Amino acid sequence: MITRFITDVTTRFNPFSARARSARLFLSFLPPGARASGMNISAQLLPRASTEPSSLHIKFKDGKEMKLDCEGMGIKSIIEEVDRHSRVLQKEADLTAA
Amino acid sequence: MAPRLRCATARGLSSALKPSRTPSLSAVLLLPSSAARTYATAAPITSGFTLPSDYVPPTKPPTARPSDTRKSQLLRSYTSLLRTTPLILLFQHNNLTAVEWSAVRRELRRALSKVAAPGSDSDELASKAQLQVIRTRMFDVALKIVEFHDPSKVAPTTVSALSGEKVQVVYNHDLSKAAYNAVQAATKGDEPLPESSAYAQLSPLLVGPLAILTLPAVSPAHLAAALSILSPSPPAFPAPTKKKSPGYHEPIVQNGLQKLMLVGGRVEDKIFDLEGVKWVGGIDGGLDALRAQLVNMLQSAGLGLTAALEGPSKSLWLTMESRRTVLDEEQNGGKEGEKEGEKKEETS
Repeated sequence: MITRFITDVTTRFNPFSARARSARLFLSFLPPGARASGMNISAQLLPRASTEPSSLHIKFKDGKEMKLDCEGMGIKSIIEEVDRHSRVLQKEADLTAA
Repeated sequence: MAPRLRCATARGLSSALKPSRTPSLSAVLLLPSSAARTYATAAPITSGFTLPSDYVPPTKPPTARPSDTRKSQLLRSYTSLLRTTPLILLFQHNNLTAVEWSAVRRELRRALSKVAAPGSDSDELASKAQLQVIRTRMFDVALKIVEFHDPSKVAPTTVSALSGEKVQVVYNHDLSKAAYNAVQAATKGDEPLPESSAYAQLSPLLVGPLAILTLPAVSPAHLAAALSILSPSPPAFPAPTKKKSPGYHEPIVQNGLQKLMLVGGRVEDKIFDLEGVKWVGGIDGGLDALRAQLVNMLQSAGLGLTAALEGPSKSLWLTMESRRTVLDEEQNGGKEGEKEGEKKEETS
């Protein structure tokens, strides 16, 4: 997953719900130095009885915000969605650098 | 050359009996043979010792999973951990580096060792506390075995002993066919597992990279110390101050702790979420204090009960006694005694 262009990750999930799987896995895909390189990551754990759907909110460097539906999407499709925008930014960055 | 024994069970024993080829030769020579001269290679040993076909070496009981792989032994270590550890906290770890792990473990050890006086029982408890990364799927399987496989209910199997007689042996270990079948039977089908089972409650947590903190006894004081390090929450479990433990505020430790997420815990077969774990950690004085509270409650209830039972009889005795003194006085006094006596009959 391309994480260079992500500036903000906010998730809320109830770990006791099976639907929280993709949100939790997304957090584990962020690289070890993500916070050091300026990414804001905040994960809020909901209490066990809560039925609030898990949410994943991502902001990119160009200001684009993504609200992903963790309930219905698997981790693969979430990464695909994020990478789709990241690749556009990567292309722009490569062109300006060259 | 001695004829090769083809059955698999026999191989284990023959290798144990015959570490090299030379002893077999001497064993053959010892056999009574009619021929004047036989070569060791040609000697038939059919008349000698043969293993029963259903012989099972006691050191190698039959298993459903291959017993000599690393995975199987890891499974066994997880099942024994789950059976013996009353307090397990589950953490999700998101790409901690090795340096961060060691820093977090160091801070945890330091905080736990401060809980009790050195040399006491709880000091030993602190040294046994462990924060370890687990293989999530293996832990899941181990949890299923612990939950659904009851070793005491496995029926014995009949196998042959070395001498050929039939013996009853119970194969109920965690890698056995019985354990495998019990787990398969419990988790088979589409219907969800009952909510009461610990596995059903804990299984949604077992996703992604996990680490567990194990404490060998339920000690709220140690749990509180661990919580204040690993997931500090200011009012009840504040992080240690910069003055008291400067090591905790190093960037390496802080980076590591940011990537550790407490997702749940298991305290004596009960599954708790974050709030539940904090509640357990917040029990003042630990289990001993709870027991003292209970004893105190029972004692005061007993006192109340005896007082309540004693009350009427005591008051009855008091009235009768006072009545008697009054009567005695009146008998000494003369006629008025009779009047009082009538009154007494009326009341009684």
